[in-house]
Amino acid sequence: MILIKVKCFSQVKYALGVDELSLRLDDNSTINDLEKIIREKAGNKLKNVSLRIALNQKYLTEDIILREGDEVVFIPPVQGG
Amino acid sequence: MIVTPSILNKQKNDFTIIDVRSIEERNKFPLIGLESIISPYGNRIDLSGQKVLVCQFGIVTEGIIIEQNIKDAYSLLGGAQAWIEYCKENEDLSRWSRQTVLPEIGIQGQKKLLESKVSIIGMGGLGCPAAQSLAIAGVGNLKLIDNDIISLSNLHRQPLYTFDDVGREKVFVAKSKLEGLNPEVNIEVDNSFFDNKNGEELLSNTDIIIDATDNFKSREIIDQVSKKLNIPMIYGGLFRYEGQVSILNVNGSLGYKELFPNPRTKEEDSCVDAGVLGMIPGIIGNIQALEAVKLIVGINKNLIGKLLIYDGMNHQTQVIQL
Repeated sequence: MILIKVKCFSQVKYALGVDELSLRLDDNSTINDLEKIIREKAGNKLKNVSLRIALNQKYLTEDIILREGDEVVFIPPVQGG
Repeated sequence: MIVTPSILNKQKNDFTIIDVRSIEERNKFPLIGLESIISPYGNRIDLSGQKVLVCQFGIVTEGIIIEQNIKDAYSLLGGAQAWIEYCKENEDLSRWSRQTVLPEIGIQGQKKLLESKVSIIGMGGLGCPAAQSLAIAGVGNLKLIDNDIISLSNLHRQPLYTFDDVGREKVFVAKSKLEGLNPEVNIEVDNSFFDNKNGEELLSNTDIIIDATDNFKSREIIDQVSKKLNIPMIYGGLFRYEGQVSILNVNGSLGYKELFPNPRTKEEDSCVDAGVLGMIPGIIGNIQALEAVKLIVGINKNLIGKLLIYDGMNHQTQVIQL
């Protein structure tokens, strides 16, 4: 098992009701696995919301295996202005 | 009779200044610091008292004075062109002394700001504070693009507008308020709806584009134009107590399309439905203005290739490397 941290902003924060959360994941879990877990936790609240991902403050465009202590930010697009 | 720019500057209150140029010339080369009345070439000038006639190069007005035999009239030597040169050479930069003292800005940086042009698309929650800060920082040329009119529900977050402005077009009110803050800034306005038909024309001849829009579609069009014209786009977006800022499309850095390839959110996530507290657009619009100033002056620590996420509720920030 590995322990990772998710920092929550905008729609993700309101869907989960927390600023951040720590999660224990199976070894070899990937970013995509984590996104599925987050969407499940959010119920319908993230349906139709596209999410981009940053891992340890770096923008990510492909699925990779998570490691102990990783910090993930899900970045929803925001449209207000 | 002629008068030089230097004498006109010293005695400008003694003269009525009459601008005989076309509207195109007046808009392109405004007579900074001079209160003038307009009497386009061809009109008969019969004002009494001492007056100075201004054309583009000082030749046409010499002819008008002779042809019409105008009394107490002077032609401005070198015309508007000479006046603009004179103003540039004799600029009083003390107004910006508190920022020119910063080593990263200095007099050279201030001159760059005075010569720069920033276009702002959207004069709402983000556009108002961004325009306000850029105007008072001495950015010499601003272009404001928006076709919206001011509504009562705008006032809590758009500080350029007041109760009496409700129902008026945003760009014209904004221009007037910004000129009050800094009479020397040259402000162009366009009250068109920004779209993919007029985008390129509206944003040509600008140094920086500030995206202060409120929808994905407009951002995607700005991104396309920014890439095509090779002009940096300073993106800003809001959600409730949060905001995002990034400088996009600089020397191959990511654009909006790469950052958010297929942006989707729920309909109710706009400012109208999700809500926004006025200070948040104030903060985010000011960060956009700050990044614009840094880009113009040439400060390398900036948000090129980075996405700033700010949460005003718990003051958490993230700077994501793109």
